[in-house]
Parts: sequence; structure tokens; C-alpha cells
Amino acid sequence: MTRETGPPGGDPENSRSEFSNAPARGRNRIPVRLLLQFSWRNLWRHRRRNGILLSAIAVAVAGVLLLNTLLRGMQYDMMNTAIDNLTGHVKVLAPGYLDDPGIERGFDTPPDWQQVLDPDAVEGWAARIRVPAVIMSERETRGIQLVGIDPEQESISFLHTAAIEGERLTGRGDRRLVIGQRLADDLATLPGRRLVLVTQGADGRTREAGFRIAGIYRAEMSLVESAFVFTGRDALQDLLGTGDVTEISVRLADAPREAETMAALATAFEDLDVLSWRQLEPQAATMVAFADTSIYIYFLIVMGALVFGLVNTLVTAVMERIRELGMLRALGMRPRSVVAQVVTESSLIMATGVAIGIAVAGGVFSLVADGIDLTAFDDSLASFGMRPIFVPVVEATDVVLVAVMSLALGLVASFYPARRAVKIKPLEALQRR
Amino acid sequence: MATLVGLVVAATAPAGEGPAEVTGESLLEGALDLTRGMSSYTELTMTIHRPTWEREMAISAWTRGREDALIRFTAPPKSAGVATLKRGDRMWTYAPRIGREFSLPSSMMSQQWEGSDFSYNDLSRTDKYLRHYDVNIAHTEERDGHTIYTLELIPHDDAPVVWGKETLVLRDDYVILAQTFYDQGLEPLKRMQTLEIGELGGRTIPVAMRMSPVDEDDRWTEIRYLRADFDADVEDGMFTTFALRGGR
Repeated sequence: MTRETGPPGGDPENSRSEFSNAPARGRNRIPVRLLLQFSWRNLWRHRRRNGILLSAIAVAVAGVLLLNTLLRGMQYDMMNTAIDNLTGHVKVLAPGYLDDPGIERGFDTPPDWQQVLDPDAVEGWAARIRVPAVIMSERETRGIQLVGIDPEQESISFLHTAAIEGERLTGRGDRRLVIGQRLADDLATLPGRRLVLVTQGADGRTREAGFRIAGIYRAEMSLVESAFVFTGRDALQDLLGTGDVTEISVRLADAPREAETMAALATAFEDLDVLSWRQLEPQAATMVAFADTSIYIYFLIVMGALVFGLVNTLVTAVMERIRELGMLRALGMRPRSVVAQVVTESSLIMATGVAIGIAVAGGVFSLVADGIDLTAFDDSLASFGMRPIFVPVVEATDVVLVAVMSLALGLVASFYPARRAVKIKPLEALQRR
Repeated sequence: MATLVGLVVAATAPAGEGPAEVTGESLLEGALDLTRGMSSYTELTMTIHRPTWEREMAISAWTRGREDALIRFTAPPKSAGVATLKRGDRMWTYAPRIGREFSLPSSMMSQQWEGSDFSYNDLSRTDKYLRHYDVNIAHTEERDGHTIYTLELIPHDDAPVVWGKETLVLRDDYVILAQTFYDQGLEPLKRMQTLEIGELGGRTIPVAMRMSPVDEDDRWTEIRYLRADFDADVEDGMFTTFALRGGR
């Protein structure tokens, strides 16, 4: 029989006496404490083997958790980028605007429409004109999105915090442009210079006019810098010959109240489409949903592989203890108790592994919590709608989920070894040398 | 005006009929307004020169008034049939290879016209000078019995003009000698020069002109008039997309 090595503080005398008392307490059960003690000691009999298994579980759990925070970070980032980039959580648009944007799909805002919004649920809103336009400098021509804004309302978009070289727009009547750094580079132009904008007016005729550049903004993505050109909303309405706007963008203070806000907006704008950012930015929404799924996929792959290691270890442990288990059975231990022992062992290993894994993940996380700089890959990331700084995000539910799923897998893994242990026949086992 | 159409049109101004009081506007206006209602037919060659290649194309052009023009390539075979129609503010181009004409989107107006150093804008901007620029005479001199005016054209602040400034050198008989386009830092960017002045179709006109970027010597586009028929009888059907396709 294998040498018994108790854990620190274990007391062999005590356990033996409890076992001898067991039948007196009830023939079908051994006390939980005794069961734990048995399992605990069995684990300590093979420190190296169980240590390796434990490390494998800890590393896997830590890995899954860290990957998880990165995926969540990516998810939040894509969502926020999508919302910051003039989308907002909810947008009111004329039907057909998305397929064919233009001022002919503008709309009139009824007075006091904003009363339908619950001030607690909404962080802010902005009414804008957004039309495709062509912009020209002496040297180059580019296609852009021309956005007429009221600068005071733009606290809800990236423009509010963007660094600006030169001046910001002073009001909605400001007939100057704020363009992105990338576009300014492409056009080889500077603040104070004139650019020519060509776009389609409300009557369908081409409008062209020169506009001075007030300032040049920097955005986190160069894609944004080359796409959006801002000017005062009233000034743009003058050029287009209209009093309409093409969109109202609403940023929520409280994301879960999206549906409620959308319903309220739908009553204020009966003939218009009220769309959530998921409908407006389907690519970002798909990526966000994909992050949710991929967290489970990664978990199942990594932990699934580990389960085989766990099964293998447990089966080995059972085979080594055939004589011992046979003896216990002969002395009257019920099959149920044998199963309980194997399951407990498996769960102990898993629980310890998960605990260490979470601790390791926490340690690594604190090192990268400020974000991982991926500026070198700026352009390729931008095409996925991501910023170059990658900030991992911990969600408590994810950690709990990983822990619970790991323990559940530990239970599943103990099924086969337990079955083997139950099948041991006391007589055969005792005859083995 | 430093444009093909503009040149064709401006060249139809009767020579020697000087304005009463010479101002920048009157010179410009004179060159443009005296051609109102006139029609013309011209044949010319356009040579595009690049550091590694050069090619010459033959063009026929019809104009009516200041607004309408049809320009058709007749040679080489690769380009023959390619045509551009201008009516008022709008332009169409026809590509025989795909057998379709299409309206030029505003985004293409500043692109090069058929690979030359002229842009579509250069072709279409004939009459906008008076509206969008402050014109003044920067310099006057006498040369070879002509008064040579150097006009300085400064675009208005909200003008749909990318240039910071243009200068135009013009003879008192409205023959344009040179035009220079400046960026908004007032550095010259591209320049058009008249290489040869001659008699054609009964008028004194610039018969050869060259447009080139200022900083590149080995890159230019030259236009040379071979035949000009001013006050030609051009039928109205010439300025339709049907005619653009080559139908008569």
C-alpha cells in the first residue's frame, strides 16, 4: 500500500477513528469531512503528478481569463468607437438615407421634440446634416462626408475631445471648416487656406463654394480623419438651400434603456427611422457579438483539452489504488462513497487550479491594465474599427462564468474514473499483488 | 479661360476693337462678351509630353456661345471617338470602347482631361471669372505696337476656386499670352504660355499654347490650331448627347 502522507496538520489517528465510527452514523454514508480528508491525502500522495496537472489548469484558466479581458476590451473599444464616430447609441434618419445619403433625405425637426427624451437616460443629442461631398485643394481632390454641426451639441462625439490645430468652430453659423489631419496631409493644405466643396443642393443642383479652414483635428483613427469634414450647421444649410437636418444622434447615459428611448423617439418622429447603433454599424455589431461567442469557443477548446489530462490523472490514481479501494469496499464502503471520493478529488484539483489561475490572471492583468500599444498596426486595426491602444477589460461575470464552467468540467471529467473505481471487484482487487 | 474651350471662344473675339475704358474687368469682359452668340469650328492637335513618352492626338471642336462645346478626338485610332460635351454647367463624356456616355460627376471635374495637363475644370470654367474673382491690372507695358496687360485675378473668399491667385497676360486685341495659377501660399503651380500667334479663320489668335506644371520641365501639354472657322454655321443638334455619341 502506498505510503500515507498527510497534509500539514492532518491527523491520521482522527480519521481512522471516524471511519470506524461511520457505520454507526448511517450505513450509506461516510461523513463529508472524512471524504474530503481522504481525497486531500490522495492528492498529496503524488505531489509531482498533481502539481503538474494543477499548473496546467492554472495556466489554462489564467490564459482563458486574460484572452477574455482582451476580447472584452476589443469589444468595448469597437462599440465605443462606433458610437463616438458620430453614430451615438440611437439615431433618427429619414427612410432610405442609409442606402442613398443626401440632403434630399433631410427632415424638419418638430419644435420641442426633445421633450420625449428622458433626461436621466440621455447624455446628449445632436442634430446634424451629413452629406457626401467632394473637397478640393490646389493639388488634390478627395471624397468626404460633409457634416454640418452645432458645436455646442457635439459633446456626445469624438470631436469634443479631439486635439485641434488652429481653431474650433465657434457656433452653428461658423462658415469655416474643421478637417482631419490625414485629409489635410492628403490635400497639402493648412489652417486659414481655402478649400472648394462640391455637393448636391436640396434642389438637386450642384453647389460649389470655397470654405476657409478654421482648424485641423486629430482622431484616434486616420480613417476618421480622412472621412469627416465639419462646418457650422446653419452655414451648410445656407449652401444647400434648406432648413432641414439629415440626422439626430442620441447618446444614452444608460445603455440598457436603449429600447425605451427608441420607442420615445419613434413617437416624436413618426415617419422616420429610429435605429440603434447595431443597425447603423452592422460590422461593429457583428464583431461585438462575435467577441461574445469567441470567449466561449476559446474556453471550450483550452479547457476541453485539459479535461483529457484530468481524466488521465484520475484514472491513473484509481488504478494505483485498486487494492486499497477493494479493501475499503470489502470493509463495507458503498460504491456511492467511492464515486464521491473520486469526484471530490477531481473537484479539489480543479478548484485549486482555478483559484491559482485567477490569481495569476489578476497579476498579469494589473501589468497590462493601462493598455497595450498597437500603434505599429494602426491601419489594419482601423479597418476593423479599433483604436491603436488596446485596453483590456475585466467583467466579473466572465470570471465567475469561467470558474463555474471549469468546475462543471471537473465534474464531467470525473465521471469515467469514478465509473472505473466503482467497477473494482473487492475479491479480485484483494488478490492482486 | 486658360482653357481649351475658353481659348477657342476667346479667340473668336474680333480683333482690334478695343474697349473705351480699359479696366481689368473690361478686358476680361470684352474677351468673353464679344463672343456671345458666336459659333465656331476648329481642328487642333494636342500633344501630351511626359518624361518617358509623348503622344499626339487630333481633335475637332465645335462651340456655340460661351456655354456650349463639343470636343471630339479624331486620332489616333485608340482615342478616336472619345468626346466631351459641355452644356452650361454640365459635362458629359463618351467612351466609344464601352459605348456609353456618362455625366461627369463633380468629383471628376478637377481630374486631368484625357491624360493631359488640362483639367475638366479648365474646360468648363469660361464665364465664372467675372463672378468669382476680383480683377485688376497689375502691370501694363507696350511691346511690338501692342499694349500688354498683366491681369491679377484674386478669387473671392467663398469662391469655388482652389487657386490663391491667377495672373493673365493679355494683349489689347485679347490675345492671351500667358496664364499662371498660384497656390494659396502664392507659389506658382502651373502655367500656360502662348508659343505662337498667327492668323487663322480671319483672326489673330494664339495658335500654339503649352500648359505645364511649374516644377516639372519635362511634362507639358501643347495645343496647336490647324484650322479655325469662326462664325461657322453649327447646328444645335451638335450639342446633344446623341451628337456626343458620334451621331449626326
